[in-house]
Amino acid sequence: MNATLFLQNFLNGLSIGSIYAIFALGYTLVFSILGIINFAHGAIFTLGAYFTYVLMGGAFGFNGLLANLALPFRLPFAIAIILGSTIAGIISVIVERFAFRPLRRKKADSLLTVVSSLGVAVMIVNLIQYLVGAEIYTFPPDTYGNLPPAINFGTEANPIPIRSVQVVIFLVSGVILSILTYLINVTKYGKAMRAVAEDQTTASLLGINADRFIVLTFFVSGFLGGLAGTLVGSSVSIAGPYFGIGFGLKGLAVIVLGGLGSIPGAVVGGLVIGLIEAFVPGDYSAYKDAVAFGILFLMLLIRPQGLLGRSLIQKV
Amino acid sequence: MNHSTLLNVQQLSVNYGGIQALQAIDLTIETGEVVTLIGANGAGKSTTLRAISRIVPIRQGKIIYHDREITRQRPHEVVEMGIAHSPEGRRVLARQTVLDNLELGAYCRRDRLGIKSDIEQQFLLFPRLAERRSQLAGTLSGGEQQMLAIARALMSRPQLLLLDEPSLGLAPAIVREIFAIIQNLRSTGVTILLVEQNANLALQIADRGYVLDAGCITLSGLAADLLNDDRIRQAYLG
Repeated sequence: MNATLFLQNFLNGLSIGSIYAIFALGYTLVFSILGIINFAHGAIFTLGAYFTYVLMGGAFGFNGLLANLALPFRLPFAIAIILGSTIAGIISVIVERFAFRPLRRKKADSLLTVVSSLGVAVMIVNLIQYLVGAEIYTFPPDTYGNLPPAINFGTEANPIPIRSVQVVIFLVSGVILSILTYLINVTKYGKAMRAVAEDQTTASLLGINADRFIVLTFFVSGFLGGLAGTLVGSSVSIAGPYFGIGFGLKGLAVIVLGGLGSIPGAVVGGLVIGLIEAFVPGDYSAYKDAVAFGILFLMLLIRPQGLLGRSLIQKV
Repeated sequence: MNHSTLLNVQQLSVNYGGIQALQAIDLTIETGEVVTLIGANGAGKSTTLRAISRIVPIRQGKIIYHDREITRQRPHEVVEMGIAHSPEGRRVLARQTVLDNLELGAYCRRDRLGIKSDIEQQFLLFPRLAERRSQLAGTLSGGEQQMLAIARALMSRPQLLLLDEPSLGLAPAIVREIFAIIQNLRSTGVTILLVEQNANLALQIADRGYVLDAGCITLSGLAADLLNDDRIRQAYLG
């Protein structure tokens, strides 16, 4: 592999890896606060992509209940993605309210909550199919405005073209990750959120309304899921209602690789899987997922707590 | 002494894991007092504090704080009303720094400058914490974690401080250090409800005491009288 190809793969890997990172962070935030993997997260990812698509004036196809309907206005991408992700966040809060909280109140086994979240995922996917059909939706070609199709990261004699979309994705993800890291580590509410994640009872003894932070966590998680869905959907296409399911599984590989419940782990895990996938030779690109999950299995054998996770052996 | 009632617990019953942990207990605390709750392991001492903090469900009875019934409040609301709880087993936030723990103790407060100066106040009170301010709380020794738990509770500027077993598992020298600090706290005007297994120590710094046995209050009175009571000497002072 020559240096140009290497750099190109590297930059593409960073881009896709940064989407994995923000998506996986959505899992991680909920996991760190409730100790539960929210399987509805992949469905929220799908929803976010559809919401942004609609807000950009996109019309629905012929098959669903909403056939041929479109909003009477078209928002620019930058606003649509924020709004679409916000709605995804709100849906995530609703999911918490109806699929998680009642079980938590009854102190149900966490496995039941996981099953409940799986049920929600299936319901959302089916609802999408019922409403808008199963076809592929493509964002308008001018989604990213007047950006050139590719940006050259090399020299004129030795070009390293990277799709502009990939660059936008990397920048958006980078900004979101920085803001989130700041909010969680530096602000009072971030510290309170980590307190709830560590010990809910103690947090409430400090005057922290734990339920409110759980709701906030689900909102942020859903927002990140919707954002990731929109970024993937707009760079490729929305591949139908099941769009987020495969991505959801990939997200699981990311958080296990990085370390369950670890926020830096989700970021590192996302970037590592993105980079590894980018270096899978073109002829074998259909087997990318197998590579990602192969790494996951290796990780579980060698270091089950993940790259940055805390030891799984509980201190007594 | 100022005789206004700060906390009034009436006929409080709590069930805990199918067992009746508290059976219709009555307890009052006057403003400015140090009251101790002593008794054997499992007598319901911690449960009493946890009921006042509203982190265990109450089956029957009332808790009145400042003439307001708080029986149905949520835990964070009780903190906002001025009750702080330093829980059994210290429960410091192990993954956050000493400083972050103290800041979170002041979570309900909005006065940034006041919080800053109170943190410095805690560092004067507990100099060992000052040296370790940027350390993760999980890396502190047991005694230091206990100091942090008390300091963190004080950060909300409580009127009523609930202290659960501050001597638990600590070396005698550290216990003396912590009890000296608790004794000094009363001069700052905070009212204290102290739960202790070490009845001797607790009764020495308290004004009054209650004895809990199997979820019932069996004896109460001035701490000095309880210290000299034969029944107590036999059962708890050894």
